[in-house]
Amino acid sequence: MAGVLTGEGQRVSRAAADVVRAEAAAVPVPPAVRRAPGRREGLTAFLFLSPTLLVFGVFVVFPILFSFYLSFQQWNLFADDHAFVGLANYGAVFSDPEFWQVFWNTTVYTVATVPLNMVLALGVAVLLERRVRGKRLLRAAFFTPVVVSSVAAGVIWRWVFDPNLGLANVALTAVGLPAVDWTANAAAAMAALIIVGVWKTFGINMVLFAAGLSAIPSHYYEAAAIDGARSWSQFRHITLPLLAPTTLFVLVLSMIGSFQVFDVVFVLTRGGPLGATKVLVYYLYEHAFKFFDMGYASAVAYLLFAVLFVLTLVQVRAFRNRGAVAV
Amino acid sequence: MPPSLRRCAGLLALLLVGGCGGGADGPADGRTPVVFWHSFVSSTIPALDSLVARFEAEHPEIDLQPQYVPTGDALVQKLITAVRSNTAPDVSWIHADYLEDLVAADAIYPMAHFIEGSNGMSAEDLADIYPALLTYASYRGTLYSMPMEATNLGLLYNKDLFREVGLDPERPPQTWEELVSYSERLRLDRNGDGRYERIGFMVPVRPGTGPDGPWMVWQFQPFMMQAGTDHLVNEEQTRVLFADEPAVQALSLWERLFDLQNQRGFTNEYQSAFVSGQGAMMLDGPWSLPNYPRLLEGIDWGIAPLPAGPVRPATVVGGEYLAIFRQSAHPEAAWTFVKWVTQPEVQAFWSQRSGYLPIRASVTEVPEYRAYLETNPGLKAFVEQMAVARAQRPIEYSALEIQRELAIAIEQATVGTLDARTALARAAEASNAMLARADRTPPSPAPPETTAVTTARR
Repeated sequence: MAGVLTGEGQRVSRAAADVVRAEAAAVPVPPAVRRAPGRREGLTAFLFLSPTLLVFGVFVVFPILFSFYLSFQQWNLFADDHAFVGLANYGAVFSDPEFWQVFWNTTVYTVATVPLNMVLALGVAVLLERRVRGKRLLRAAFFTPVVVSSVAAGVIWRWVFDPNLGLANVALTAVGLPAVDWTANAAAAMAALIIVGVWKTFGINMVLFAAGLSAIPSHYYEAAAIDGARSWSQFRHITLPLLAPTTLFVLVLSMIGSFQVFDVVFVLTRGGPLGATKVLVYYLYEHAFKFFDMGYASAVAYLLFAVLFVLTLVQVRAFRNRGAVAV
Repeated sequence: MPPSLRRCAGLLALLLVGGCGGGADGPADGRTPVVFWHSFVSSTIPALDSLVARFEAEHPEIDLQPQYVPTGDALVQKLITAVRSNTAPDVSWIHADYLEDLVAADAIYPMAHFIEGSNGMSAEDLADIYPALLTYASYRGTLYSMPMEATNLGLLYNKDLFREVGLDPERPPQTWEELVSYSERLRLDRNGDGRYERIGFMVPVRPGTGPDGPWMVWQFQPFMMQAGTDHLVNEEQTRVLFADEPAVQALSLWERLFDLQNQRGFTNEYQSAFVSGQGAMMLDGPWSLPNYPRLLEGIDWGIAPLPAGPVRPATVVGGEYLAIFRQSAHPEAAWTFVKWVTQPEVQAFWSQRSGYLPIRASVTEVPEYRAYLETNPGLKAFVEQMAVARAQRPIEYSALEIQRELAIAIEQATVGTLDARTALARAAEASNAMLARADRTPPSPAPPETTAVTTARR
């Protein structure tokens, strides 16, 4: 429970927070052990790493570079030869009104999903940090959607949101609310997608937050409590600042995740109605694996990468300026 | 190297090499393996097993290996991957929409290579196959595949519900007007909230850009045909025909039915709606028939020809087509199967077990098949409807993109707020622009077929 803020408690806990910050900054970082490895040792290390390096190189590095190359080519995946077309693919993407629609849809989805996701994840993590009956069971329950196959989950949710056979409308009408045209109404379809998106992913963030919370030493809270800080002040001035690195990590991950949403859309709404829930990666998929325009699809992929890169940089900067993260 | 390290390196080498061994499917028993990719639904698999057993009994020298590949996008994706990595199947289901890419990549044989070969096919046999199917099986006038089975769309309806509202269960709707008036009678809004708990004819609308878009376009075709336009594109492949009056009439009908029954608030799971008695009439194909005795237990259902439109009665014909891949090590064995499956007795056998329609008209003369139809009125209705089944001309340029434009127009006129005429005009404008941009140079120089045929004859 967030207690009433007294001027006294606030001031004291702010002082406590300063101590926290100072201590956090003073935590000694173990100096990196830098010693020139012997030739043999290097070879051994390389041999141990080579399976991973091989897989990483073939399935990650090569496709990334090849996709960049393809974004300047025209290729239908079938033919042996590709033609260099310069920036034509990028130009075509920018002049396609559908690209801007899916970009907007993706932005709406992200702006709604990420904060909801984080608030919910942090809230549940904090609540489950306390002594709660069946804590492990609850954690497992909240985490389950993360490991459920998205296709299976999507199919189940499609039934839940079915306009006349689904549970969602049954529940709404049971409490006297009007039924919703989940598949035909653009806003409702997006809302359904956001609900499922949050449900499916907040569990992993909850676990990350829980890990972050358990790393905060309890003596800060004890000190703050002695100073008279109530729960809200403790949360505001100890938990939140010390959790900042986790928060940044969760924020960046969720944002990337929601910008890349695909599977749930593919199964749940199929981009409808009227393209209202069509997202960037779905658009990319359609061009790559339906129209087989690999160059165009690669250009979309690199634009998506550019957007995510810039957004991530901005977030890291914002956190660093507030002195919360030593990046 | 210390021994432990040596062991590690050995293990690593084993890992690297391990993946490359094996894989050679040498005919251990001297039979020729023929890998056959298909996308038959699970209810068809028992029928397929019996077909394979019959083929192998008649051709013990061939080991036919059917392999399931999910339909739609997945099939073409896997085919491309297989062709690129030199692991193409010997024979596969293909779809008319893939022909453009498969031919451009020279991945499949033209059928003339086999038809004119030593184990060829007579002109009479070829002429017995429904011409509509051969149209779909061809690309720019060249036959690249052979039909394996035919389908068309009919009307699945619930006789119990007809009785309940006082309609004659043996007189399904004959015209568009009746389709509308029957739907008006069958729709049911128990609590008066403007959402129907039961509807008459279910308009099969799906998200236009989604994976079901092409399917929805195919289901829309019969209505265009009934109003007078068979094709989506003109003969010169320069202009689409779906903004013309017949298509506008067809989409206006869909729009009217959709609004009449407020389908915005209705499910688009058509089988569930039918099974639960919430939808009285649906578009359906014969492939579901083997499942229906079990699925529709307790419902008095029937199959009727589609109601006639303002111009004529019509339905759209479809089918599955088999292509033989150039990478096949045993193309002649693959052809043996393709040719075998087109024989009248085999077609009759296959139709009775799978519910698919025969690809040749003469099969209906096989006495055993005639007798079978008399006991299966559902299948009989589909077979009889073949008389009015029409083929659409394949779109040769940007086929998928153009069908997608039409799918979007259908969605806009029903779920959306545009009227049919405006939506179709927009789609046609975008499609015509694609046709104007199309690269009309022939795909690749024609392969030296004559040499291939003479080699085979020698």
